[in-house]
Amino acid sequence: MSLIKSIKSYSEGIQMSEEKKQLLDSFFLTGFPTTKDEDWKYTSLKKIISNDYVIENESDTKNYSVVEKYSLKFKYRIIFFDGKMLHFPQIKGVSITGFSEFESNNTNSILQLNKALSKNGFTIAVDKNIKVESPIEILFFSTSKNSFLQYRNQISIGKNSEVKFVERIQSLNNSISLVNHFTQINCAENTKVEYNKIQNNSSQSQLIDSTNIYQKKDSICDINTLIFGGSFTRNNLNFEQNGNNCESNMNGVSVLNKHQLGDNHTFVDHKNPNCRSNEMYKGVYLDYSKGVFNGKIMVRPNAQKIDAFQSNNNLLLSDDSSIDSKPQLEIYADDVKCSHGCTIGQLDEDALFYMRSRGVGIEEAKAILTYAFASEAIENISVEKVKELARRLMAEKLNVDLNFS
Amino acid sequence: MLKIKNLKAGVEGNQILKGINLEVNAGEIHAIMGPNGSGKSTLSAAIAGSEEYEIEGGVISFEGENLLDLDPEERAHKGVFLSFQYPVEIPGISVSNFIKTCISEKRKAQELGPMATSDLLKMMREKMELLNIKAGYLSRNMNEGFSGGEKKRNEIFQMAMLEPKLAILDETDSGLDIDALRIVANGVNKLRRKDNATIVITHYQRLLDYIVPDFVHVLYDGKIIKSGGKELALELEKKGYDWITKEIK
Repeated sequence: MSLIKSIKSYSEGIQMSEEKKQLLDSFFLTGFPTTKDEDWKYTSLKKIISNDYVIENESDTKNYSVVEKYSLKFKYRIIFFDGKMLHFPQIKGVSITGFSEFESNNTNSILQLNKALSKNGFTIAVDKNIKVESPIEILFFSTSKNSFLQYRNQISIGKNSEVKFVERIQSLNNSISLVNHFTQINCAENTKVEYNKIQNNSSQSQLIDSTNIYQKKDSICDINTLIFGGSFTRNNLNFEQNGNNCESNMNGVSVLNKHQLGDNHTFVDHKNPNCRSNEMYKGVYLDYSKGVFNGKIMVRPNAQKIDAFQSNNNLLLSDDSSIDSKPQLEIYADDVKCSHGCTIGQLDEDALFYMRSRGVGIEEAKAILTYAFASEAIENISVEKVKELARRLMAEKLNVDLNFS
Repeated sequence: MLKIKNLKAGVEGNQILKGINLEVNAGEIHAIMGPNGSGKSTLSAAIAGSEEYEIEGGVISFEGENLLDLDPEERAHKGVFLSFQYPVEIPGISVSNFIKTCISEKRKAQELGPMATSDLLKMMREKMELLNIKAGYLSRNMNEGFSGGEKKRNEIFQMAMLEPKLAILDETDSGLDIDALRIVANGVNKLRRKDNATIVITHYQRLLDYIVPDFVHVLYDGKIIKSGGKELALELEKKGYDWITKEIK
């Protein structure tokens, strides 16, 4: 049974509010996006939604010890198993609760579906003037076979507060699974937020991840996205700058092999003057893997003195790998600085020979050069444990022993 | 140590080396001089194992083994080192990580255990002192934004760390001012031992004032057309390459 049919039969068996019913009807009317939609031109969901899924299944067999294997062991951890929040920390000035309803901008059918049927997720509210000293690690585990899960999370950061997050979605069942994940982050004045997404899920897992960030004046928000695992990963990052002097930073590293697909769609809406955005996405593609990057930057008419920088650099390490990269700049103000650049290439032969002549084997040399290529984006991550993990995962994927400090 | 017999090499059917014969023994310093396009860099690249050039014939034997059968990294493990004329920039890798990797790869190939970090750091400090290299240099990215002189000094620093048996210095003097030249030459001289050998490839006699060769060879149109002692370099400087080519004809 296709995913849409499964969703239909699932929704018929549950109680829903009128508003949600309408959203769901609207979803059924348009269905999942196809490659005819501009935003999904390079990434097809066709095969993914034709698979059989079990909607929001709850499983009882839980092996909690597995948590440690996937955790970076931060002091503060939120742990989900099959949608249920099983553990959350007590942090002064921070309220952490489970799923809550909240309004969102449901501009596409995927978000409509998320709003209509989600019943799991977290709600985090950070008071004003709070600096959370250790990152908050959020782990989502699923154990059941062929699961289709939706999460809906909201984070609100109070004035002058500072907090970092590390998120990981992990399937413990090596079957085809799909997660529709949505997180809304509200950054009040003068806040500093860093959100790290570690996307290293099992080989048959698929993810559609959407993050909407609303920034008030003087706020800085960094989103770092590391795609290593999973067969299909689509990220939608949407920043809305609703005040002066906002800064939005995005760093991405994708290292993909086999038939993996990694798609990063970003959108920065510069609505106010004197703001900045920086995007640095690095992709390494082996075997038959495929990458997509689409970076949209909108500068509204009154948003003067904008400094927007975007780069997408790609290494294609096999003949069958591919990348579609598209900058999309819409600038309606005249006093702005916008730059974008995209490169696609192979490893530098001269550098390879240089390293080999110093005694470094060809596979190691390739891996080191690949690592060097991606490291610029990794260095922008401030959480040391995430950086270390990124280095380790990259070395594993490239099948070498990189012992860098 | 090194015996090159009738080495012929070229690129895309265009023969550059047309039968090179050269023998280098432990403890010796050989200078190879020659005008532009004579094949100096091709020779050094062929010894180091660059795949850019096709070997069309001959043998490069190093301590009894034919180097032509080995990959560049295997040649390095045996103790061959090439100081590049144009060292490559590698952004994203610090000098210390690069050298650490080279040493650990070499020791792995030689079935030696890893070097203790403290020993490695001590060695780095000693060699940096030898070459007048300032602290802070180790954390810079490999050759990125280095001046010509810094790049060459970095080459000799790697040589000092890797302790090769045979070092080939390809135009190490180009891009160096006189002070840097002295420091680099001084480093090379201090690293000289009875059991290692050096081939200095250069255009000019100037470097040979500081690194005094035991033998000088003149490479011209892919062949060594004259060999002699250090006085040959002085004569060349005075009379130019035309003198020899006329003499040959």
